[in-house]
Amino acid sequence: MNGKSLLVGPFNRVEGDLEIRLDIAGGRVTRAEANSPLFRGFERIMLGKRPEDALTITPRICGICSISQSMAAVLALADLAGAEMPPEAMRAAAILHGVENLCDHLTHFYLFFMPDFARPAYAGRGWHGQMAERFTAAEGSGLRAALEARARLFHIVGLLGGKWPHTLAIQPGGVTRAPSARDRIRMQADLRQSRAFLERQLFGAPLESFAALETAEAMAAWETGDAGLFLRAADDLGLAAMGRGPGRFLSWGAYPLPGGPGWSGGLWDGALHPADPAMVAEDLSHSWMLGGAAHPMQGETLPDEDMRETAYSWCKAPRYGGLAIETGALARQAVAGHPLARELAEQAGVTARVGGRLLEIARLQLLLEDTLAALRPESRFMERAELPREGEGVGLSEAARGSLGHWIRVEGGRIAGYQIIAPTTWNFSPRDASGTPGPVEAALVGAPVAEGEETPLSVQHIVRSFDPCMNCTVH
Amino acid sequence: MSQIETFYDVMRRQGITRRSFMKYCSLTAAALGLAPSFVPKIAHAMETKPRTPVIWVHGLECTCCSESFIRSAHPLAKDVVLSMISLDYDDTLMAAAGHQAEAALQETIEKYKGNYILAVEGNPPLNEDGMFCIVGGKPFVEQLRHAAKDAKAIISWGACASYGCVQAAKPNPTRATPVHKVITDKPIIKVPGCPPIAEVMTGVITYMLTFDRLPELDRQGRPAMFYGQRIHDKCYRRPHFDAGQFVEQWDDENARKGYCLYKMGCKGPTTYNACSTVRWNEGVSFPIQSGHGCIGCSEDGFWDQGTFYDRVTDLTQFGVESNADRIGATAAGVVGAGVAAHAAISALKSAQRKSQTKNEDA
Repeated sequence: MNGKSLLVGPFNRVEGDLEIRLDIAGGRVTRAEANSPLFRGFERIMLGKRPEDALTITPRICGICSISQSMAAVLALADLAGAEMPPEAMRAAAILHGVENLCDHLTHFYLFFMPDFARPAYAGRGWHGQMAERFTAAEGSGLRAALEARARLFHIVGLLGGKWPHTLAIQPGGVTRAPSARDRIRMQADLRQSRAFLERQLFGAPLESFAALETAEAMAAWETGDAGLFLRAADDLGLAAMGRGPGRFLSWGAYPLPGGPGWSGGLWDGALHPADPAMVAEDLSHSWMLGGAAHPMQGETLPDEDMRETAYSWCKAPRYGGLAIETGALARQAVAGHPLARELAEQAGVTARVGGRLLEIARLQLLLEDTLAALRPESRFMERAELPREGEGVGLSEAARGSLGHWIRVEGGRIAGYQIIAPTTWNFSPRDASGTPGPVEAALVGAPVAEGEETPLSVQHIVRSFDPCMNCTVH
Repeated sequence: MSQIETFYDVMRRQGITRRSFMKYCSLTAAALGLAPSFVPKIAHAMETKPRTPVIWVHGLECTCCSESFIRSAHPLAKDVVLSMISLDYDDTLMAAAGHQAEAALQETIEKYKGNYILAVEGNPPLNEDGMFCIVGGKPFVEQLRHAAKDAKAIISWGACASYGCVQAAKPNPTRATPVHKVITDKPIIKVPGCPPIAEVMTGVITYMLTFDRLPELDRQGRPAMFYGQRIHDKCYRRPHFDAGQFVEQWDDENARKGYCLYKMGCKGPTTYNACSTVRWNEGVSFPIQSGHGCIGCSEDGFWDQGTFYDRVTDLTQFGVESNADRIGATAAGVVGAGVAAHAAISALKSAQRKSQTKNEDA
């Protein structure tokens, strides 16, 4: 079989637009280039605006992780102002953010990732009939159930935040709505519904037992619920060895709470290191951007309107200490120290990524329940936060898909610099000056391609296992 | 086989019972503000008329409209609407990928030529020949023109498609352009908001599917049934406005008491939308109820009005009884109606000329 080139895209069932160019030889992918073909220029739009406008504009980068963008902007402004939310506001903000992340994970699993297993190409596999019933795109019973569970969960965001997507209630000084005791009871009822959905449909067992899994072997033996169905198919298709990432995992730390973050941040590469934002630089050698590599506080966004031949994406290539890193639920759980996640981080393939996300779903439901139980209504939910006319601020947060950072520079009361590095910017970055591919580009090398396959199934599984959000990637 | 099935057939196929179907018809009538006598008419229309195919395309956007849509209030309403339109082509939710997906789009266009509704989420960027938004190797603006050519009508979902939204904020780096400035020869219904309320989206689409015509539109092309009143008119904090009780700071006592947010920059007094009546997330709340002012996201240009926390200053020009049409008319009257109309026509012509030359170049 001779080498050939294949363009896969537009990818559906991802947030936003994505194209991947593959070189194929001997039935395997030998090289991959990820292109984000959508550019809107948010970082340019922010220039000259008042800093507080970031709270309204940046969430609109993405309609699915909008609270994550809102949190990062809030934290950047709070850093600029030297402000901190009162403890109860931290809890309320963590609940808002956590519910969005939980819903994003459900959307990814039920609407975007699993429908690939219901494809006719897998007919004849032992699990296909069940998959088709549960996960056929736009029709499967699992999809419908997940949509309903999500809608119910978003009542919590509605209650605390007024509306979703694009909630405005989180501010540098706290949250604008002080929930009452009655609100708390309503939210608890919503969380009970969510637990019921997870235990009946996703895990088919108490979620504490999934959260307590300690080894990859124990996870592989999980049989119940949609999670069990996935693991069965994953085992049959050998997805554990497919789509290996760089093995370096970043998390900025998630859910700032009064006693410290719900899940602590760091860099995991088999050992744990502190995460240092000073180590971050964005390389522009293969993106249609002008200028040199820079730390986001100095970085600029100057699109190369000639779209030069040597580049192939609007996405910049962020690197940590010069290296490509992977970010997401698996990274977050491995960095936070969960034994199962750390074992999965060694595999670092499709099964590990999805398994890490399932683990986080179970743990996030528990975290939300605990945070809500600790929330004391009728206390102080807002402090004064005055924004200075000059200064800098960094807002580091964790979206469902991984590490998100906002870097703001203010001069004369106006924004003089605003740079954003989103999770998918890390995961779907193009090559850097040394020619090192981005995480998904590297993960695709070696993926099997059957004769005559135009949209290889292995590529679909690998790409979607990262849960790309292309809207956020380039912004 | 080429005959299109009726809505009722589709619903039966989805396993929806007759009882649920009738319940859905009543709900629809209620949501659209129609008298109960309309229920049998809706039922009859759905039983006998071929369903209307819908093509849903995405340009420069953030997918928030889709996100809102799939959380419509009544699970049945959502199910029915989803199966009715069955999203003949929608690249966020559909099963096919890559070339198959493009083939599916082409097939839908040909099969339902002249009969389908084109739902547009997001807008086309026109700078650099549209290279800032590429779908299937071609600028989105081309896909949009192609899909619009044989559409019966177009729905512009959200602030992006209707007006441009934040990506069109100064300096509008990609020249993000609303749909009606690119497609000038089709009926367009604007459903603005960032995103629009889910029930407004399903309400509009159900109305069009049931009655086979556009709902009554206001001067700006928005469905009057949902955009006929200001948020301020039905705001539960309105008594505090009338009594002069305002929040002055996020952390003050008045904020805790739930006073009016006008001084915090609330745009409720100048924004036409159903937030204060229909509310969000299945009727749970809306931004003002969460203690933050309205930013006016269903109004043209809301993103470039100074900071979002500037106070509305042109409040005294009209009373509670005004509607968007009357205010629009007043504004046009000030400018000189003739001049405005002339300007609009020339803009239209020049847009058409431009699109023609562009087509010839391509």
